Amino acid sequence: MADLLSNAVSGLLAFQQALDVTSNNIANASTPGYSVENANLAEALGQQTGSGYVGSGVDVQSITRTYNEFLAQQVRSSQASYSSSNALATQAAQIDNLLSDSSSGLTATLQSFVNSLQSVASAPSSSAARQALLSQAQALAQQLTSYDSQISQFGSQLESQLSVDVSQINTITANIASLNQQIATGSSAGQTPNQLMDQRDQLITQLSQYVSVQTNTETNGEVDVYVGSGQALVTGATASKLTTIAGAYDSSQLDIGLVGGGGSTADITTEIAGGELGGLLSARSQVLDPARNAIGQVSVAVAAIVNQQQQSGMDLTGAQGQPMFSVGGVQVLPDSGNTGSASLTVTRGSLSALTTDDYRLQYSAGAWQLTDVTTGQSVAMTGNGSNATPFQAAGLSIVTGGTPAAGDSFLIQPTAAATAGFGVELTSPSQIAAASLVQGTAASANTGTGAVTSASVTDPAAWAAGGGSLTVSFTGASSYTVTDGNGNTTTGTYTSGSPITFDGAQLTLTGSPASGDTFTVGPNNPANTGDNSNLLAMASALSAAALNGGTSSVTGAANTLVTRVGLITQQAQGNATAQQTAHQDATTALNNVSGVNLDQQAASMLQFQQAYQAMAQMIQASQQMFTSLISAIGNG
Amino acid sequence: MTAVSISTLTFRTNALDSMESLETAISATQEQLSTGKSFQSAAGNPTGMAEVNQLDMELSASGQYVKNGTLAGANLNLETQALSDATNLLQSARDLAVEANNAALSATQRQDIATQLDQQLQQLVAIGNRTDGSGNYLFGGYASSTQPFIQNGNSVSYVGADQVSQVQISANQRISSGDTGSSVFMSVPAGNGTFTTAVGASNTGTASIGPGTVTNPSQWVPDTYAITFTDATDYTVTDQKTGATVTSGTYDATTGGTISFNGIQVTLSGSPAANDTFTVAPAGQSSAFATLSGLITTLNSTSLNAGQTATQIGQAIEQIDGALNTLSNVSASVGARSDAVTASQSTAQSQQTQLQTSVSSITDTDYAAATTQLSSEEVALQAAEESYASLSKLSLFNYVS
Repeated sequence: MADLLSNAVSGLLAFQQALDVTSNNIANASTPGYSVENANLAEALGQQTGSGYVGSGVDVQSITRTYNEFLAQQVRSSQASYSSSNALATQAAQIDNLLSDSSSGLTATLQSFVNSLQSVASAPSSSAARQALLSQAQALAQQLTSYDSQISQFGSQLESQLSVDVSQINTITANIASLNQQIATGSSAGQTPNQLMDQRDQLITQLSQYVSVQTNTETNGEVDVYVGSGQALVTGATASKLTTIAGAYDSSQLDIGLVGGGGSTADITTEIAGGELGGLLSARSQVLDPARNAIGQVSVAVAAIVNQQQQSGMDLTGAQGQPMFSVGGVQVLPDSGNTGSASLTVTRGSLSALTTDDYRLQYSAGAWQLTDVTTGQSVAMTGNGSNATPFQAAGLSIVTGGTPAAGDSFLIQPTAAATAGFGVELTSPSQIAAASLVQGTAASANTGTGAVTSASVTDPAAWAAGGGSLTVSFTGASSYTVTDGNGNTTTGTYTSGSPITFDGAQLTLTGSPASGDTFTVGPNNPANTGDNSNLLAMASALSAAALNGGTSSVTGAANTLVTRVGLITQQAQGNATAQQTAHQDATTALNNVSGVNLDQQAASMLQFQQAYQAMAQMIQASQQMFTSLISAIGNG
Repeated sequence: MTAVSISTLTFRTNALDSMESLETAISATQEQLSTGKSFQSAAGNPTGMAEVNQLDMELSASGQYVKNGTLAGANLNLETQALSDATNLLQSARDLAVEANNAALSATQRQDIATQLDQQLQQLVAIGNRTDGSGNYLFGGYASSTQPFIQNGNSVSYVGADQVSQVQISANQRISSGDTGSSVFMSVPAGNGTFTTAVGASNTGTASIGPGTVTNPSQWVPDTYAITFTDATDYTVTDQKTGATVTSGTYDATTGGTISFNGIQVTLSGSPAANDTFTVAPAGQSSAFATLSGLITTLNSTSLNAGQTATQIGQAIEQIDGALNTLSNVSASVGARSDAVTASQSTAQSQQTQLQTSVSSITDTDYAAATTQLSSEEVALQAAEESYASLSKLSLFNYVS
């Protein structure tokens, strides 16, 4: 009877505990990261009697949580991918929206500028048309610089977001380390602190929002957390701090550092992948920087083409045209760790060879090596870097000065800073050089029928160097000698309508000149206010495929930028949607194992309640048995 | 197969997630319907956006070409008017010259005609110096703000430029929006275009020489020739450059005579005297103005012999015809350019319609599809909401008492 009572009491206690567990499960049905717990019942050890072993009730052997490490890792990796794609998509969408307005977009503004050139060409002496062209040039400059400053603003927001993420990561890893310690001390044979483990595992999932991590579970229940290719963020009860460090070249761009044991910081930026941090770093290198460079390329191209043509023309006052636009130069950023005294002077050369990539020039093994940072390819250079024969590569001309130390390097950004310096230089409408810088004249004594069709300058520098005048003398019906202002000569064969070219100038004749006929190319007459040939040439040059090795026009390059940002955004948004679904599926799979099903808990509750009631009945039965025995003795 | 137990939290979050994504889809479809655009930024359709940008640029450029064409067309119309006025003027000058070419007229009568011609010369200069609405000279070429024709007494000189500005009227078509004064008024061939004829100033006979014609251009040697009469009927033609005698013959004053040499022929009329000379010289360039002022000088002159007067008037008529011919050629070219403007503008308009259609086909919302999509999304959302509302009520706890 003592056994009956003690068995019943063990059952009462066990089922009460099981009901406690069930009630805890029900209470936490909506708690994120909660793993359903089970009271594991086991038969208590029996007592040996003459008639065999008699059981001595039930024990709650352990309370365990239902958790699947494999599914949890899937939740974390899908979380990291989703956060990364989402951060990239959000950043890219900002630029996409900035560039996408088709009515006021960059291509539309460029076309309006070309249209204004045409309007002045149709009425070269109209001051209204000239004023409209200047206004359109201002509008173009404003649009380009506003894009550039918006992108810079997105960039600095991105940098501050990086700092915020790093401090979030540090807070989370510190908490994980402290929970690890409590778990290690709180665990004892077969009993685990489930609530602490749930909290810690939930923190690791949270950490995956910020950066992709790997984990390793120690035998004492602690979990180590790593980023990148095995850099430890949490080792047992110790957390290593991440920090932001100024970029080696560009101090405004933050790198991610891992603070080591001795207080030294290792740059692990390239190791970071996944999570919001990874997404932001991708956005910076794949969207923001390329967009700024591409807009810079458009700025450089517009300024180079228009300025060159301006200088090939004569303005309304009869003077040689002045540059219409100013543009920022090549940005050269030395590595903050350079030890030598070397410095670089980099200027732009060929517009067609100019790219939107950034380059690194490094001094190693006694020579300078150029690497395309965007593609990682090394780039061959001609020249020796001296003033006389600068290094030439990728449309750049590089002059080195000072003494480099081995390993010194420079980041060269050909177009990144171009737009910030883009502005309109001309102040008066009369400064627009509509007329050609030169005019061609047939000598009055000519006896042939040769007539001047056009005279123009294609290279103002060469024209000035050549002395600024040409005389074409026909030595036969189809042969001529050209003499420039310095007395240099060249000869050629005449074809009606084909330009005669010398010293960066072109003279086109038609008809049949006779031997002895001469034609001169000299400064244009300031009275030729109706000459629009230079503006027509400017409009053509802007539509010509002058960029990227002669494959795209200025507007083409602008259009490519819009498309490229659009594609990246579309892809990132598509990835984000797919990763979100994958994350939901992984979460569902984990919750199907670890989550609380209220119907199940209700069934458990009924089961344990009934068992409890049955145990109580057993106690009553034991009491009745005892009462019957007492009364039998009493009656006897 | 074992049933998977779905956690109550998952059931709720998944139901909410799917409702949220349906709401996002409805909002996107609704935006398509309200904006009329099938995508809102390049991310919605990157290649479509690139095409639309390209098409928009073409549309904008096409619009500019139409504007350019309108300006050029207006200029060409002004020029046509000026050319037609100049033609009428020269036509009446020619009538006056024909009237003056009559030996019976007195010196006074000729001078009256000269006065009328002087008026016409002034008018012709005025036509040459016409401006467009903005004060640009029609015939100044590049020098559009400088008065192209300067009159000094009877002499008119051209100070404009020899090149004329071009206007872009389509992506690959440029036309001259005008013509230079030099090509319209100053490039009149002298004489008959190949050679000029003249009567010796000291001739004593009454013979005059016509402008002549070219019978075989390949035989023509552009030298100056003198036709010298040794008596009233016999003549010799001498090349003044080489001194060689080219031909000689006999002239019959009663039937009139044609003298042919070196692929040309000239006709003399009237009676030459011994030692009378007539000259044939290669033609240079003259101008409409020089022709008129030369004619005025001839008619006002009292010192010319009859042969000279008749010859010079005859030559002036020939040159006026040459000037009229030049005007007619320029008019034809202007007409062709006007037609090119009209043609390019009408092409541009149909092209613009085409471009707009292409832009619309890329950017515009397909209303039928979008409306259908919206209603199916609404049905799906409604179903999700109703099923969640009813399913979430199901719980075993409802039956535990």
